[in-house]
Amino acid sequence: MNLKRFAALTKAGIQESLQYRLGTAVTLFSNLIYLALVYFLWKAIYASSGKDVVRGMTFEDTMIYLILATALFNFLEQFIVWDMSRSIQSGKIILDLLKPMKYRIYTFWSYSGAHVVQFFLTFTPTFIIVCLLTGGAIHIGVNLLFFVLSTVLALVVNFNIEMLVATLCLYTESTWGINIVKETIVLLLSGVSIPLAFFPETIRGIVSILPFRAVYDIPLTILLQKNGADQLSGLLPMLGMQLCWVVILTIAGNLFFNHAVRKITVNGG
Amino acid sequence: MSKQASNEPAIVMEHVSKNFKVLNRREGLSGSIKDLFSRDYKTLQAVSDVSLTVGRGEIIGYLGPNGAGKSTTIKMITGVLEPSEGKIMVNGVVPYQNRTRNSEQIGVVFGQRSQLWWSLPLIESFNLLRDIYLVEEKEYKDMLELYRSLVDLEPILHKPVRQMSLGQRTLSDILAAFLHNPAIVFLDEPTIGLDVAMKSKIRDLILGLNAQKKTTVILTTHDMGDVDALCKRVVIIDKGKKIYDNDMDHLKTFFGSYRTLRMRLDGEDEWTERVIDENKTDVMKEIEKTQKEHKIKDIQVQEISTEEIIKKIYEG
Repeated sequence: MNLKRFAALTKAGIQESLQYRLGTAVTLFSNLIYLALVYFLWKAIYASSGKDVVRGMTFEDTMIYLILATALFNFLEQFIVWDMSRSIQSGKIILDLLKPMKYRIYTFWSYSGAHVVQFFLTFTPTFIIVCLLTGGAIHIGVNLLFFVLSTVLALVVNFNIEMLVATLCLYTESTWGINIVKETIVLLLSGVSIPLAFFPETIRGIVSILPFRAVYDIPLTILLQKNGADQLSGLLPMLGMQLCWVVILTIAGNLFFNHAVRKITVNGG
Repeated sequence: MSKQASNEPAIVMEHVSKNFKVLNRREGLSGSIKDLFSRDYKTLQAVSDVSLTVGRGEIIGYLGPNGAGKSTTIKMITGVLEPSEGKIMVNGVVPYQNRTRNSEQIGVVFGQRSQLWWSLPLIESFNLLRDIYLVEEKEYKDMLELYRSLVDLEPILHKPVRQMSLGQRTLSDILAAFLHNPAIVFLDEPTIGLDVAMKSKIRDLILGLNAQKKTTVILTTHDMGDVDALCKRVVIIDKGKKIYDNDMDHLKTFFGSYRTLRMRLDGEDEWTERVIDENKTDVMKEIEKTQKEHKIKDIQVQEISTEEIIKKIYEG
């Protein structure tokens, strides 16, 4: 493999993303509306509980977590399932399959540029604003470094989940239902919509070993230094778990895709 | 590229077949529900026992009616599909066993789809393809120089692909396919939807690139103008079987006794056309017969066109 190829694809992805300035602005705006909703919802939840601390989290903790989770979600979000099903229907997938690179690797690096743009345009500004507003609630130190590392792993886990579902759609030839199921599962079990701390004990036990947590909950926990992530003894198992899922899902995804691609019949042409 | 290295043929196919398993679909809603659990498959043979050898630098027309198995063949040669039976070698590589390696030595253009980056200027797509195919800087520069000598590159080079006309986009896609100097280029309906002037521009470009780079070109098309302008040899398949494989000239002699008789009758502006097999009917008799009923203003007798020949072959 040649790094020049990856760099070229990343660069093109950045250039393409920057073409869609309006899209980014709309994303930021719709986020504001979503976050207002989150704010009032949790305000009501805390008010009705009559306590300041629920499951070890104050209202402020919850808001910081959910705002950053939303920003992270926008940064990591991919549309591989849609894009791939569209390119199967139009038959365009054959052009990507005929690039002198493995299709999965080609796809991953094609998306990388968009992630870089989203990181600087949505995640970083949100993070800075949260830091300023909360005045020291987020520790700024070596945790940022581990957060970046953890986010890269999260990106690969997320890519693999997307790719597995997209591959599944190669067989079913229908996308919508499967994709909705995937989105709901990821949103719920990864901690993006509800912090995992609020889950009942048994469910939390199951969720904590599933790969979805590795996408959003672990990077955020590391960034916010919760659950012992401020110590190496707490941090390393989290990164280790992400790494495990990276390895497992990459191998599984490769096997599954190689099997699927042999079966596909590219439409028309 | 190992393009010039050997004298082997560019493509060798030996007794290649491809079967697809398709579910037998039933009618109606209840049928659709039953289909969910059905294991009632039938086998479709898209390509059956096709053998084909294509030499280096050849331009061949690969023709056949819709659904004849043309794209299935192309997909097998490019390595996207694995043949059910038979062997394929493309420039010394077994394509379906080594798709990535095979991709480096082929280029593709599908008239209906573009491999260019939609929102970026053409030059960015070229630069990207240069990096993806690991083209040396010097070869890349030479290739762009060659392109400049063949077409007017400047007006489109800095234009985003989404703002291009269909003709400009097709032209760009053909240039993109040749950029890494592949041994073989597949052109699937490259002139579809283009105006006459653009068609001839595209044909000249393909001839120019083929002459300069000795690239083997496999052309599938329904436009006989493309075939006349580009191909010395045509291969025709129908229902998965190869039914013709020979020179264009031979194609004409094969149907040499056919003539197209064109007549303009009195009171009509349009020409009336009739294809006549001279072994069966005499052209003069046909004219006499017509003359008894109508007054003929004008007569032309032409050699049968490629279009008519192909139609005859398709119809069996």
